[in-house]
Amino acid sequence: MIYGDRNLSVIVQNITGRQGMFHTELMNAYAREVGGRGVVAGVAPGKGGREVHGVPVYNTVREALREHDATASVVFVPAAAAGDSVMEAAHAGIELAVVITEHIPIHDAMKAIAYAKLHDCTVIGPNCPGLLSPGECKLGIMPAHLARRGNVGVVSRSGTLTYEVVDELTRAGIGQSTVVGIGGDPVIGQTFVDALARFEEDPHTKAVVVIGEVGGNLEEEGVRSTSLPVVTYIAGVSAPPEKRMGHAGAIIEGGEGDARSKVRRLSALNIPVASRPSEIPGLIREVL
Amino acid sequence: MKLLEYEAKRIFSGYGIPVPKGVLIRAPEEIAAHLPEIGDSVVLKAQVDVGGRGKAGGVLFADAKTAQETARELFSREIKGVPVGATLVEERLAIEHEYYVSIAIDRSSRQPVVLFADAGGVEIENAARADGSVIRRVVVSALLRDIPPFLMRELLGEAPKELAPVINSLYRVFQEKDAMLAEINPLVTTPQGVYAADAKLIVDDNALARQGIAVNRDLSEREREAEKHGFSYVELDGSIGVIGNGAGLTMSTLDLIEFYNGRAANFLDVGGGADQERVMHAVRLVASMPGVNVIVVNLLGGITRCDEVAKGIIAAAVAPTVIVRMAGTNEEEGRRLLAGCGYRMLDSMDLAVRAAMEVAP
Repeated sequence: MIYGDRNLSVIVQNITGRQGMFHTELMNAYAREVGGRGVVAGVAPGKGGREVHGVPVYNTVREALREHDATASVVFVPAAAAGDSVMEAAHAGIELAVVITEHIPIHDAMKAIAYAKLHDCTVIGPNCPGLLSPGECKLGIMPAHLARRGNVGVVSRSGTLTYEVVDELTRAGIGQSTVVGIGGDPVIGQTFVDALARFEEDPHTKAVVVIGEVGGNLEEEGVRSTSLPVVTYIAGVSAPPEKRMGHAGAIIEGGEGDARSKVRRLSALNIPVASRPSEIPGLIREVL
Repeated sequence: MKLLEYEAKRIFSGYGIPVPKGVLIRAPEEIAAHLPEIGDSVVLKAQVDVGGRGKAGGVLFADAKTAQETARELFSREIKGVPVGATLVEERLAIEHEYYVSIAIDRSSRQPVVLFADAGGVEIENAARADGSVIRRVVVSALLRDIPPFLMRELLGEAPKELAPVINSLYRVFQEKDAMLAEINPLVTTPQGVYAADAKLIVDDNALARQGIAVNRDLSEREREAEKHGFSYVELDGSIGVIGNGAGLTMSTLDLIEFYNGRAANFLDVGGGADQERVMHAVRLVASMPGVNVIVVNLLGGITRCDEVAKGIIAAAVAPTVIVRMAGTNEEEGRRLLAGCGYRMLDSMDLAVRAAMEVAP
């Protein structure tokens, strides 16, 4: 697994919001199931002293870390303040920030990611579902029941499409080491290159599924950087140019980043490219 | 959202970037009154949001004698199908040299990148495609308010140093106006100094509110309506309606329809954590599109709860056949609700899309 195991202690920023509360409960249900530490504290400015599903709430990240030895944070803070929250976490000593929030202004994302880097804080997201290492830990919003423990890594720009692929793998009897959604925005903390480098160092990961989308060329950059066997799938072959397909990052600009040319470039590197999610398990078996 | 040239120039000018003397007119007869301040030799530029405006006939030159007639001609034109509603009338510059400068976001380094070329103008993109080395690029840090001098020197090379303050001001615009792109092409030198002869500014859609922009003009009315409900929505020309959650899964559903030789009518991503109300609006919106007789709803719960989705589908009560594929958070409750109301629920997206193909015309 990558980014952490069952010993990872987590805080949730904006734990008193609707999504923060709901997913704190799910993350801790998962932690109990696998014997992990889970969410040990929450942060919500002005709401210190409360409890959310038995988890104590603090006004600031610094206060939370004074009482708990957490190293990771899951950020559910609304878009306008999310960048600031990532910087707060990094400044207080959080080592891994998983940013679920979507619609963060891109300049805030650039600043937060650059600032976090200065404090040696790894940022996953924004606009991502987080990560799940089956049997170990869950940070974020992935539906855990779809996943099974195994030796295939999954890294994806998408949220729900990732669940689809995980479901296909599990049904085919192929378990996962870690599933990580790196986010659908043009600017994200961990890229395919970063996640693949971690998979490469992980003794449990034997192959990786890379799930990309239209926009940019980071899939290709990632695939080129690794020596692990990789299977890819690129969403958006039927997407029209200049239309933003949901994600801010999923847009074909100036004729660049379209899915068909990505598929062509990946195929030219002799990388198997699935034409639909249900083909992925078969292709993974071939490379394992 | 893309700003028009005159809007971008007003902003650039506010940051001390010299722009040509100019005035915006909304009817041809307004031009005469402005000539004394602008001068006898003018350029008329249609304010339309189309690429390759000059080549498409959106830019005309005139003098005092021909100004009125030229304005009338330009206002009567359509530029790539877009009627000319407003025109920027500017002094004609005595251009010595054209440069290109553009500030954008580099996905790979996740930081601002400044691009510069010694030969700007309309052919820059073709020239860059043929020879990548014609454009120099430096990556700056979003944490810095200014471009450091050593990077500016690297960027400019042998180009005149007087361009530096203009490029730095453009970088300030890029940061403070939440730009996805801030570009001057051409950036020109004249005997009177440096000028931004054209201006391009695209503002991050996620920052429109804090930039005081109330309406995103880049969206059609229907797309804007969809956005109010929290959807991303794109109309296509097929007959199978599509509702998904998450951009990737929704795109993948469209791709799968194409894989089975069908044609999707739309892209609709209900977004994360969609509640009953939003799902109901989504189903009704897609059902209202002409020619749609089947809708594929493909949802995997993470932040979205299947029970909320099921209630929304049932509440929408639309005429087209709704074929549902759902899995995830509170899945069993969603499944139970739908089955109780006679909806077809299938176990995979392949099965759901194939079922829709049987119903589609």
